[in-house]
Amino acid sequence: MAALTRAFKKNLNTNALFVNLTLWLICAFCLLPVVWTISSSFKTRQELYMAAPVMIPRSPTLANYQWIMTREDMSRLPFNLWNSAKVTLGSVIIQCIIATMAGFAFARLEFRGRDLIFYLLILLMFVPRAGGLMALYELMDFLHLRNSHLGLTLLFPSAISVALFVMRQNFLGVPRELEEAAIIDGANTWQLFWHVDVPFVKGGIAVVAIWEFIYVWGEYLITLTMLDFPEQETVSIAVTKLQGWGAHFTSSTLAGYGAESAAYVVAMLPVILVFILLQRWFVRGLSEGILKL
Amino acid sequence: MSQPRVERVDQVREQGTGAVATQFLRELLGLRREKWGNLWGYVFIAPAVLLYFVFQAWPILRGLFMAFSDYRWLIPQTHGWAGFNGLANWVEMFRDETFWQSFLIAVKFSLMFVPLTLILSLLTAVLISQINNGFSAAIYRVIAYMPVILPISIGMLVWVKLFDVRFGYLNVLLQDFGMANPPNWLGSPKMALYTMVLPTVWSKFGSWTLLFLIGIYNINREIYEAARVDGASGWRQFLNITLPLLKPVFTLVLVLGSGVVSVTEESMLLFGGTTGGPAESALTTGVYLYRTAFIHGDMRMGYAATLSLFLGLVNMLITVFVFTTLRSERA
Repeated sequence: MAALTRAFKKNLNTNALFVNLTLWLICAFCLLPVVWTISSSFKTRQELYMAAPVMIPRSPTLANYQWIMTREDMSRLPFNLWNSAKVTLGSVIIQCIIATMAGFAFARLEFRGRDLIFYLLILLMFVPRAGGLMALYELMDFLHLRNSHLGLTLLFPSAISVALFVMRQNFLGVPRELEEAAIIDGANTWQLFWHVDVPFVKGGIAVVAIWEFIYVWGEYLITLTMLDFPEQETVSIAVTKLQGWGAHFTSSTLAGYGAESAAYVVAMLPVILVFILLQRWFVRGLSEGILKL
Repeated sequence: MSQPRVERVDQVREQGTGAVATQFLRELLGLRREKWGNLWGYVFIAPAVLLYFVFQAWPILRGLFMAFSDYRWLIPQTHGWAGFNGLANWVEMFRDETFWQSFLIAVKFSLMFVPLTLILSLLTAVLISQINNGFSAAIYRVIAYMPVILPISIGMLVWVKLFDVRFGYLNVLLQDFGMANPPNWLGSPKMALYTMVLPTVWSKFGSWTLLFLIGIYNINREIYEAARVDGASGWRQFLNITLPLLKPVFTLVLVLGSGVVSVTEESMLLFGGTTGGPAESALTTGVYLYRTAFIHGDMRMGYAATLSLFLGLVNMLITVFVFTTLRSERA
């Protein structure tokens, strides 16, 4: 009992109260737009334009979601989602493969110019991109990769510095004894890579995949520049073009803002899910990768 | 894998056709293992290096040349070497009033954005590090990082809605508190730039927080213990231990965000569109060069590259300055 009171008092001291209160405020600041959007997406027209809006809708409705997912004449959202999924998954897969292979080579194989090439790949990250976007536009046009999802799928994984660093760091952590045993058993380089090292760095691969997923799903500027046609747009571009929807609602019970909010929620759901479910990996990747740079 | 050569050769023979083929190739090219090492290394890095040089390194080089040419996308005669015009772009830039106006706006924005983000992220990191319960600390980390992972376009669109002059949540609240004419946040030239600072801080401060937090977690606990024994207050501990030991993280944060002056292009585009907000009051150099290159007239990519290079140089100077001052203080 005495211990309990002591613990209670300790929790109640002013310092802890101040810390938690401030953090709650900061969290409210972070979450307000997200919560507001989720709330609006379930609201009817009446509730959206109430004089004193409430956070929790009194009569929640799914009609907004139904509208954005099924009105083919108005909303291209299902196609946009499919486009995003294609580009994102393609980029994730390519980046994981090339970063894992290169990370292995830079950590474990000995070849001429290895360290020079590695530092070149990392250091270029810090060089200012003069005219990067303009030069990219020209390059992609020259390669006939503009207006193409394939183009984006090759372009996004090429920003490899961080992923490469994470993977190299991971491969450096594989126990040498294991490799030596495999070599004595007659494993060649590929077998060494695939059967001995890769199973050890699955965590690192997960980190790279999450990073790339979040980056590509939300990418805006490059995608906007490279795609000209509405039917190619990814969700992060498509959501910026929904403003006109309000006028097209003939229904007296719904409002454009509700439908827009529903579209936002659908578009951010994948990253939120990935992030929350895998946040352990995410933080680990950050502490292993960037901070050691 | 540094075994004696003889052993490796034996090994190669035992490994069958694949290894023999590699060995053959090696002899054919006249490359000896001592000189080039394990040739598999080049095979493994090839895809990464290829993609990297095509899509990352080449645009940097091309951009450098572009900045010295009158390159207009829609006029084929100006493409390639033909467009080279020496320093003409730079002379034009120094006389371009819109450019200086936009640069001023960008600097003004950064002077609000960077300190605010630094203070908020440092504060959040220090507070979270005070939480001893692992689970609630994880929750706080996730929530503080949430804005960073959301697609920037959605984040900014939602803020636009919240700032809406008539139906925005913010103004509804202000009216409830008795303000008859709440400000037109994003609609008036006077307010727009200042209003844009808050959402931009919102979208960026989480990543800085996480970097600071990892830095703090890496500081040895014993140092704090020793300070506590010597009777140092929490504030003194922060000033004399946490801040000095976080110096490398400061450098990292500022280098990674090394587009100190242009880091906000995307959010500015989303807020003001390519017009740069009401009466161009939020036309930063980033937005200006985007519209010069992709929206206006002949798509003057050469001139845009010049502006971009100028921004890059300014940012590099700032980075070097930050780096050297933080370095020298440590010594």
